[in-house]
Amino acid sequence: MSDLRTAIERATPRRKRWPWVAAAVAVLLVAGGGFALTRGDASTGRSATAGAPVRGGTLQFALIDYQRSPDPQWGTNYAESLIGNNITDKLTWQDPDTGEITPWLAESWEYNKDLTEFTFHLRKDVTFSDGSPFDSEVVKANFDQYVHGDEKLGINPNGAILLPGYIETLTPDRYTAVVRFEKPLASFLQASSFTANAQPGFLSLSTLKLSAEERTDPKKVIGTGPFVYESWQPQVKTVLVRRKGYNWAPPALKHKGEAYLDRIVFNTIPEASVRTGSLTSGAIDATLDVGTTDEKPLAEQGFKIIYRGVSGTSIFFNLNSQLFPTDDIAVRRAIQLGWDREAVRKTVLTDSYSVATSVLAPSVPGYVDYSGTVLRYDPEKAGRLLDEAGWKEGPDGIRVKDGKKLVVKLLGISNLVANKPAYESIQQDLKKIGIDLRLTVVPIPDYTALLTKAKTDWNIVAANRSRNDPAVLNLQYGPALGNGSYVTKDSPGIDVDEVTRTLGALELTLDPATRKQYAKAAQDLLLDKYALVNPVYNPSQVIAHADYVHGIIFDAQSRNHFVDTWKSNGK
Amino acid sequence: MLRYLALKTGRALFVVWAAFTLTFVLLFVLPADPVDLLFDPAEVNTVPPEVREQVAASYGFDRPLILQYLARLGHALSGDFGTSVQSGRPVVATILDVLPSTLLLAAGALALALVIAFVIALAATSARRAWLRDLLEALPSGAVSVPVFLSGILMLQIFSFRLGWFPAFGDTGARSLVLPLITLAIPVSGPIAQLLVRSFATEFRSGYVTTSWAKGATRGGIIVRDVFRNAGLPALTIAGITFGNLIAGSVITETVFARQGVGRMTQAAINTLDVPLVQGTVVLVAAGFALINLIVDLIYPLLDPRLRAALAAG
Repeated sequence: MSDLRTAIERATPRRKRWPWVAAAVAVLLVAGGGFALTRGDASTGRSATAGAPVRGGTLQFALIDYQRSPDPQWGTNYAESLIGNNITDKLTWQDPDTGEITPWLAESWEYNKDLTEFTFHLRKDVTFSDGSPFDSEVVKANFDQYVHGDEKLGINPNGAILLPGYIETLTPDRYTAVVRFEKPLASFLQASSFTANAQPGFLSLSTLKLSAEERTDPKKVIGTGPFVYESWQPQVKTVLVRRKGYNWAPPALKHKGEAYLDRIVFNTIPEASVRTGSLTSGAIDATLDVGTTDEKPLAEQGFKIIYRGVSGTSIFFNLNSQLFPTDDIAVRRAIQLGWDREAVRKTVLTDSYSVATSVLAPSVPGYVDYSGTVLRYDPEKAGRLLDEAGWKEGPDGIRVKDGKKLVVKLLGISNLVANKPAYESIQQDLKKIGIDLRLTVVPIPDYTALLTKAKTDWNIVAANRSRNDPAVLNLQYGPALGNGSYVTKDSPGIDVDEVTRTLGALELTLDPATRKQYAKAAQDLLLDKYALVNPVYNPSQVIAHADYVHGIIFDAQSRNHFVDTWKSNGK
Repeated sequence: MLRYLALKTGRALFVVWAAFTLTFVLLFVLPADPVDLLFDPAEVNTVPPEVREQVAASYGFDRPLILQYLARLGHALSGDFGTSVQSGRPVVATILDVLPSTLLLAAGALALALVIAFVIALAATSARRAWLRDLLEALPSGAVSVPVFLSGILMLQIFSFRLGWFPAFGDTGARSLVLPLITLAIPVSGPIAQLLVRSFATEFRSGYVTTSWAKGATRGGIIVRDVFRNAGLPALTIAGITFGNLIAGSVITETVFARQGVGRMTQAAINTLDVPLVQGTVVLVAAGFALINLIVDLIYPLLDPRLRAALAAG
């Protein structure tokens, strides 16, 4: 490849070494650059003492996901429910520590003995950001559209799953709303405070008349919340500004008047290293979706890590009770006893997460700790149970019974970073007692596709469900509802009616003591008596923020409220 | 000449139609049911059947496949690609929202890639020392080997987080374009540079250049007057491949730099099986491909006199 003159002058072409040298130089440059850059310098954040809240300023927030539509009742991903919580309010507020339901837009409430009628007495001073009043007509219009949808406007029945059996809302007077159901629904009280996916936040009557397409103009989506939409740029950012005249934060928060911040900018940053880099360089003030390996370095640089476990079920293994070999209770118990919790805690989780000690997360009222009984590591007992049930060890270490190997197929989701490593740790431990656990951990669309055939194809489905109420066990495992463990008359040794009764009891009473009893009975049934579930760990929402940010609240569903948030520098 | 035009245009239209149909078939052949994906996966098994039917009916998913296809094709011919399943906005509006951002990025990256490619080719050809020439010729392979997300993140770390010269995310004017442009231009310039270096070298060895040498032209004069025009023509042929590189690279660049764009939107649409939106995007990209190749086919006779003569004769 040389020109004619020099080709004549040279006889032998020599060039083969140079591409290798160039490549080596490039690799060294890249590696050296990367190495040098990841040596974090211990930068000191400005030391800001928390004093009196400072009014004003813009909070730059980062998260991985983005809003696909500004409509808060439709939003099913995390960004949508997070932002929806700050522009709308709910009837009640659930205390994140005790699970107790406290007043918010409803000052007080009663319910009938059958738990089919709930009467709410509304606050009289609440208005929407367009000035229109919040009253029982608004509650009725919202719930009707939320449950039934509106085909002409293209609105889906977003709330049909949260409020099953909804009949209507009566409005005996301007500030009283009576919500009626076909069958007892104790979980409705918690549902009225629900702040997660497709939440029942109240929209103004003018918003309810708009079609789904018209609601993509955020200025037209009107709520009663402490912030209002300023702009929405899909995939990029959403901007909220303070609502003037807001004075009805949940009384439990003890926050008077408007929010402290002037603006919040929710930036969508899909790449983890860009989120943490933006935080350390000061481009943003706080970020969600902090990776497990980023927590320690950020804390060492002076950033604050705050977190809350997701309330609801833990990440669980739902054991298929009518598919071989998990239809054998000895196998199910062996799976519960056969893996080392300490190993997972030390190698996979950080301090913001915890190993599961029940199918419910510890923050859910009625949670009972089973770490001393059925949810502990006891490989000898697991081996004994399998031996007694006729599972003999085969030549390759995997147990065999009647000529069939003990192969258990698992379907899981790859959305949380700790899932795959945790499952792999369990896989290694189970192999030592002769169980061959085969993992299929895939993204959500593939998971949803495979889930439709879970009853016949998968022994274990690994997922979780976010709902801060013990009735989540009925929703998830009730034979007529979620039926997570596929309890049918074909499940050997299981009384289907007993399962339906024990789990269904959770919808029949709101008396705290009785509810606790029923919750314990439900957990005993699922974990001990029939061993239908193997809980793994409790996921968390983790936020890293600069030390001059204060007052970010985690609610009972681990979503964030910014009404009480302020920045020391007020900028 | 007219026959040539008609043939090329007909081929372009066929490509677009085939892309439309193939996407439709693929999305329904995939194991996931689009209706399932409209619900939260944790709750998809608890959805009451009436609710499911209502939602499926409102999107037309309950009709037989062939009817759905014909209905969509009919609407598409009149420019209506339906509404996005996820947001409820018309597909055309959703794509037009993000298209300018991607076009800006793509056009800028292409321009920068061309500049880089020509500089490398010129430098490689003009270099008098063999070791320098060999080093420059190895650069295109190096450029293609560096993954886009790695180079993007490294540049962010250096220029954005450490030095603070450029913003790390979002779209705040010209400054936020610089790093994404460079990141995307590097892999795109690789194939073009490789091709140009080879064709420059070939042209340098050809007969008319020897004639110019003999007539006493300078090295620089030869490069600019003779070699440049002739060597540049093959680069047009790979315009289609280049366009493909730009689209593929834009997905990753837009994700790393948190920019709005067609690439990112398509990825999200595929993940959620948003059939109308995916179809709209695929038709757009196919139309882009077809258009670019059509333009190249039409321009060639204008640029190359030999083709012009062949067409006039045939």
